[in-house]
Amino acid sequence: MNETAVDETGLAAGQAAGAEAAALGTGWRRSLHRLLGRRMAVIGAVMVVVFLGVALIGPYVAGSSTRLGLTDILAGPSGAHWLGTDDLGRDVVARICNGARVSLLAGVVSSALAMAVGVPVGLAAGYFRGWTDSVLMRINDVVLSFPYLIFAVGMAAILGPSLHNVIIALAVAEVPSVIRVVRGETLVLRQQDFVQAAVADGTRDLAIMWRSILPNMTNTLIVKATVAVPAGILGEAALSFLGLGVQPPQASWGVMLTSAQQFLAQDPLLAVFPGVAIALTTLGFNLLGDGLRDVLDPREL
Amino acid sequence: MIEFILRRTGAAVITLFLASIAVFLGVRALPGDPATVLAGESPTPQVVAAIRKQFGLDQPLPVQYLHYMGQALQGNLGSSTQDKAPVTQVLGERLPVTLELTFLAILVGVLVGVLAGIVSAVRRGTALDYAANGFGLFGLSVPHFWLGLLGIVVFSVHWHILPASGFVGLADDPVGNLERMVMPVLVLGLGLAAVVMRQTRSSLLSQLGADYVRTARSKGLSRGQQIRHALRNSLTTVTTVVGLQLAGLISGAVITEQIFVIPGFGKLIVDGVSSRNYPVIQGAVLVTVAGYVVINLLVDVAYAYLDPRLRMAGGSQ
Amino acid sequence: MRPRTLAAGAVAASAALLLTACSTPGGGAIAGAGSDTLVISTPTEPDSLDPTFADTFAARMVFTSFCEKLYDVDSHLKIVPQLAAGMPKMSDGGRTMDIPLRKGIRFNDGTPLDAAAVKTTLDRDLTAKASARAGELNAVSRVEVKDPDTVRLVLKHPSAPLLSQLADRSGLVMSPTALKKLGARFGTAPVCVGPFSFKSRVSGNQISFAKSPYYYDRAKVRLSGIVYRFIKNSSVATANLESGDIQAAEHLDASDALNLENEGREKVLHSDTIAYQSISINVRKNAKTALSHSSGLRKAFEMSINRNALNQAVWNGQMVPDCGPLPVQSPLRTAPHCTPFDPGAARALVKKSGVKTPVPVELMVPTGAASQREAQVIQSMAEDVGFKVSVRPIDLVSGLDLARKGQFDTFLEGWSGRVDPDGDTNDIITTGGSNNFSGSDDKTVDRLIAQAAQTNDSEKRAALYAAAVRRVGQNRSLLYLYHDRWFVGTSDKLHGVVYPPDGIPRFKTAYLSR
Repeated sequence: MNETAVDETGLAAGQAAGAEAAALGTGWRRSLHRLLGRRMAVIGAVMVVVFLGVALIGPYVAGSSTRLGLTDILAGPSGAHWLGTDDLGRDVVARICNGARVSLLAGVVSSALAMAVGVPVGLAAGYFRGWTDSVLMRINDVVLSFPYLIFAVGMAAILGPSLHNVIIALAVAEVPSVIRVVRGETLVLRQQDFVQAAVADGTRDLAIMWRSILPNMTNTLIVKATVAVPAGILGEAALSFLGLGVQPPQASWGVMLTSAQQFLAQDPLLAVFPGVAIALTTLGFNLLGDGLRDVLDPREL
Repeated sequence: MIEFILRRTGAAVITLFLASIAVFLGVRALPGDPATVLAGESPTPQVVAAIRKQFGLDQPLPVQYLHYMGQALQGNLGSSTQDKAPVTQVLGERLPVTLELTFLAILVGVLVGVLAGIVSAVRRGTALDYAANGFGLFGLSVPHFWLGLLGIVVFSVHWHILPASGFVGLADDPVGNLERMVMPVLVLGLGLAAVVMRQTRSSLLSQLGADYVRTARSKGLSRGQQIRHALRNSLTTVTTVVGLQLAGLISGAVITEQIFVIPGFGKLIVDGVSSRNYPVIQGAVLVTVAGYVVINLLVDVAYAYLDPRLRMAGGSQ
Repeated sequence: MRPRTLAAGAVAASAALLLTACSTPGGGAIAGAGSDTLVISTPTEPDSLDPTFADTFAARMVFTSFCEKLYDVDSHLKIVPQLAAGMPKMSDGGRTMDIPLRKGIRFNDGTPLDAAAVKTTLDRDLTAKASARAGELNAVSRVEVKDPDTVRLVLKHPSAPLLSQLADRSGLVMSPTALKKLGARFGTAPVCVGPFSFKSRVSGNQISFAKSPYYYDRAKVRLSGIVYRFIKNSSVATANLESGDIQAAEHLDASDALNLENEGREKVLHSDTIAYQSISINVRKNAKTALSHSSGLRKAFEMSINRNALNQAVWNGQMVPDCGPLPVQSPLRTAPHCTPFDPGAARALVKKSGVKTPVPVELMVPTGAASQREAQVIQSMAEDVGFKVSVRPIDLVSGLDLARKGQFDTFLEGWSGRVDPDGDTNDIITTGGSNNFSGSDDKTVDRLIAQAAQTNDSEKRAALYAAAVRRVGQNRSLLYLYHDRWFVGTSDKLHGVVYPPDGIPRFKTAYLSR
């Protein structure tokens, strides 16, 4: 699930840049400008903004996503229900909106958790090297060697299926790749003159990592996030589809697909809408991510 | 070199050891145990206790673990609580199924991905390039289990072209086997193809711009020769990406097996969890982890052989 | 370098395929092979195929194809002889049961069936550690061989349910030769008397059987083999049926079954089964839930549920709404009193209880599409009268674990049902029973059930069960919702399947037309 591209040019260009933290302000503006020049990236950004809008505002506008309408089951699209109703007569638009919120939550929170754990660990491993590195990497190997789905199946059986557990499982799945990227980046930055100078000055390790190394990998982390968020969205859909995540009556795109699966013959449209929603959202993030990758030119991705 | 191999093997063994403890404890954290499942619809405490004893579940955890590992090292993974079959036999039946599925998916993914990547890099900016890029984005963005669902509706239920699901042995019925593998393999291979395509394209483009290719060009090498040169170097990064995708591919296989009712490892583990089949879950997860660790070890060693610098760096890339 | 890599890849590819080919599971004729082999899908996989230890519904179903019982039930839930030559002769005031056996019958390994063989089986059922049968045969004190064709069961006390146990798994007879050879591993290659004999099992995938040459009634068996394949998801099973990969799909969801019927290419068999669906309400004193403290609230909860609407919304009206556990077909049944659907009265009761509204209720439900839809409908109905129902889906084993420990509020769960009412009440509504999830503790119910088991007088038994069910209905520790109607979808080429109310399709006389 972790789409990771190893870009050789990125490596070279990044090293040459060796960007000083001070130049950040103007750098941002220039990056934004260059991003806006890319048509596909702008389309992606628009899709992401639409998704954010639906997720944040949609549930208030579209009405209840859990109110049953038992007299109006599996209705086709109409004025009252733009995308029809589901197997218990609930409005599909409302459920899509609610699903967007769940997806947003799953994508963003799982990525944030993965970063919160992965960045410090990766920094420590890459900065201290030696034993710290070996121990941390062994643990990382163990986590990496468990397919995340098996981990999620186990968590759901132990703690009961829920969105929380899905987010944790997705975060755990994402952590190793964050660690790998941050560690690699740190190993490179560690050799740079400005870091070596700080070490020679006797600056404390934590301060070096925080002030000198971390700010220089923001580009990488931003691009990493544009990969991690859609991966989280897809992961949530898959886990909920398998019944390990969000539980009915709450709506999530994966949950909607599971229940649609039972009515494929009667109402195939029911399976189409959530699938399209997932595809468009991840597509938006991917387009935006591609643009950012070109513009920010991160070292390790 | 020998020292490097020893060091990496040691690390792999430690990984496996930690993983075995994690699985062992994880399985026992599940509510209920095999006895509560096997005692059936109307369990009596006597029956439950007798079954626990039969499987050695009445022993303290460390004793159970040591016993299990002791037996495991001798090649005995216990017997399935569901039908008393030896776990090694159950795994032996299921492993080829998952191997076939993932192998074919990798084959399709790499072939399609590399070809599409080459075409789009070489014909940069043409319609072909756009098509290949579109394909890459599509493969990355579309949920694969959803495609599987739609595939069943379209190809099996409406058109009756392909079987909806299930599995038959390749030896028993080669045509039937491949027929049933078409949809699962495409569904599983699509994501990989997308990643590989994008990777091939970007690394090929950067290679074509690199110094040595420019030098080659100035020496009068043909376009085809230049591409061949660049491709050779690009393929290393593609290999790395495929390696990194492996864990995701195994998770993908779990979902694919669920949708298409393929009796492979993923289904074995999921079913094992719902029937609290401790020995089967432990065996299956351990073999999966071991497979992953061993493949990575081999890849590391191969890289170190090709690129001596890596031996010094400790090699946990 | 490139050609070499490609060549190496090709070698690796063919090696891997070869490896797969050599060790693929199953073996023998499976799908497609032999048009006289019937492939049937079933959602759950049996546990052990050893009659002494088997304890799942799926195993009961598979047994009908290769393992016959002393008695069987017919379409009217009447007990009829199968391996027995006639109904048992009771003597000594109901304490001795003589079972005559059919003559000239052979097990599927050629061993003749006689009284000694039946004794071997029953002794094993009674004494084996972890035997799932010991409880069912509880009334039996010992088994004797009266003569080669008659088995005598000496009972501790008269027992009405015993005969129905002998028409269920306790009546399965195992080949003594195979038992001797395999011992505790009998389930890996079971041998009984039956139309088909066990061939192979691939766990998680399928179990295959071939026609038995020794079966006494083999003239009626037209299939050359039968394969039970495990497909959990009803819609996937339906797709397989439609694409012709399987010829029968057992236990389809109502929506899939109706769909098949409407399309008209496949046939659908119905069975109004003895299984029922219910909600257990935790009434333990230490439960700390609103419902456990107040029978008024429990009544309000029940009144909020419109059984017919539930049936309509979730099952397309296919189930049989009911308020008691006894099957509709049972001769011992007295129509139970139903608490009518009355949201107005329910609201009043909630108000009267003085508990702050909305009253929180947690509804635990096993994961699975149909049961979750059901839970959502109940949730919405109960919310209309002032309950705030949170649905808690949980994997079945964990749910049963919590239910038996009393760590739940309400639990939506079913019971596969038994032919004799004792199996639908004893252990379920009696104090301390292993399936008494609600923790109800009613000595009167205990007494009624015990009395009913010890008399053979049908009228008396009917009255006793009616009284017990009435008490449960008043206490509302268990809310009965409906009896299940189950569906078997079959290809239009499949004929001769029998589908009695015990919900187990019989394929002995099935055949496939061209």
